[in-house]
Amino acid sequence: MTPGTIEFLLAFADDEHLMGQQHTEWIGIAPFLEEDMAFASIAQDELSHAALLYSIVADSGEGGEPDDQVINRLAFDRSAAEYRSAQIVEVACTEWAHALVRHWLYDTAEDLRWSLVKQSELESLRDAAAHAAREERFHIRHADGLIDVLLRTPDSAKRLADAVGELLPLATGLFDPASGEAEAIEAGVASAPFDTLLPEWADRVQTRFPDIDIGSISAPAFTGRMYRHDDFAVLITRINSVRGIDPTAVW
Amino acid sequence: MNTTTVDNTLLRRALAAVTTVDDPEIPGVSIVDLGLLETITATEDGRLTIGLIPTFSGCPALATIGADVKAALEVLPEVEKVTVEWLKSPIWTIERVTAKARRTMATDLTLAIKVDSGPTLCPRCGSPTVEKSEFGPSRCRAIHRCGSCFEVIEVMRDR
Repeated sequence: MTPGTIEFLLAFADDEHLMGQQHTEWIGIAPFLEEDMAFASIAQDELSHAALLYSIVADSGEGGEPDDQVINRLAFDRSAAEYRSAQIVEVACTEWAHALVRHWLYDTAEDLRWSLVKQSELESLRDAAAHAAREERFHIRHADGLIDVLLRTPDSAKRLADAVGELLPLATGLFDPASGEAEAIEAGVASAPFDTLLPEWADRVQTRFPDIDIGSISAPAFTGRMYRHDDFAVLITRINSVRGIDPTAVW
Repeated sequence: MNTTTVDNTLLRRALAAVTTVDDPEIPGVSIVDLGLLETITATEDGRLTIGLIPTFSGCPALATIGADVKAALEVLPEVEKVTVEWLKSPIWTIERVTAKARRTMATDLTLAIKVDSGPTLCPRCGSPTVEKSEFGPSRCRAIHRCGSCFEVIEVMRDR
């Protein structure tokens, strides 16, 4: 597997991983019980997608180290500069309206992103895409159901609109390609650049929030996903806090 | 389920041993009856490889199930080594759950099965149920309520 393909897979895996971790923050403090369960279940799916993607990278190595350890190292032990996540999954959403809007924006983009690898030359990635496609429908349905209800009252509609306004620029960053994307496409790992689906995503956003003028969404400036959001440091410290208590523990 | 034919006796004994492993979240129901077992292969010197598929890729019970399968097989005298592999395909579907498991789930656990054709039926009275929440105590369960006897039931599902 080429370094470019690994970069491409890590960007995808990091997004899934941190999105899953962010969703788990709502367990126990979501506005009502069903949302506790919903965010837990959806987080579980995103974390499993991350594990599938990290495992493809782990399997591409020369071996010697068990896959689980490689997966953990990729997920938890890289420096901030080595992550390739988009800032939308790094930013802290302390308002539930923001968490819900992020969930919708992210899953809508993720649905499109998996569609680009469902016919990948990499069999393990095709298999992962098949798992994800089955699970993603349920995520979007969940977010849509709640947003349908919340858009009907002025107070909650305003909270959602504020969240869309604040989060849209960061969410657009999901389409900032990993630096290895071109290489991955050449190798048949993905079928097209992710940002070719940006207009489709923007259409879905506008249709979802018809009363908000989202303007024209253009492709984000290319950064190679090198820069972490200010909230990343706190997030990664919290993610690693339990593991850090006993690094030798077997989970 | 596919098996190779290195030693039919060993394969039969291995299958019997794996069948004794219950799902940790559905006590009394074997993982084989849930449709998690996909392949068993054996070498002549007693090395077994068990290929399992998860209900959902993020199921937190996978490590427990894998450990239980190993423990059940390692006691067989002719077994030298056991490897458990979680396969990425095929994808588990509700159709893989056997009639026997469905009966146990319905009678002992008030746990129903969601199928594509027609409504989910109450395991107590057989009437159609109404979905109350897509989200249950685990990723593979939803919460329904029976429209007739009003029992609240968990429903196993594959999507």
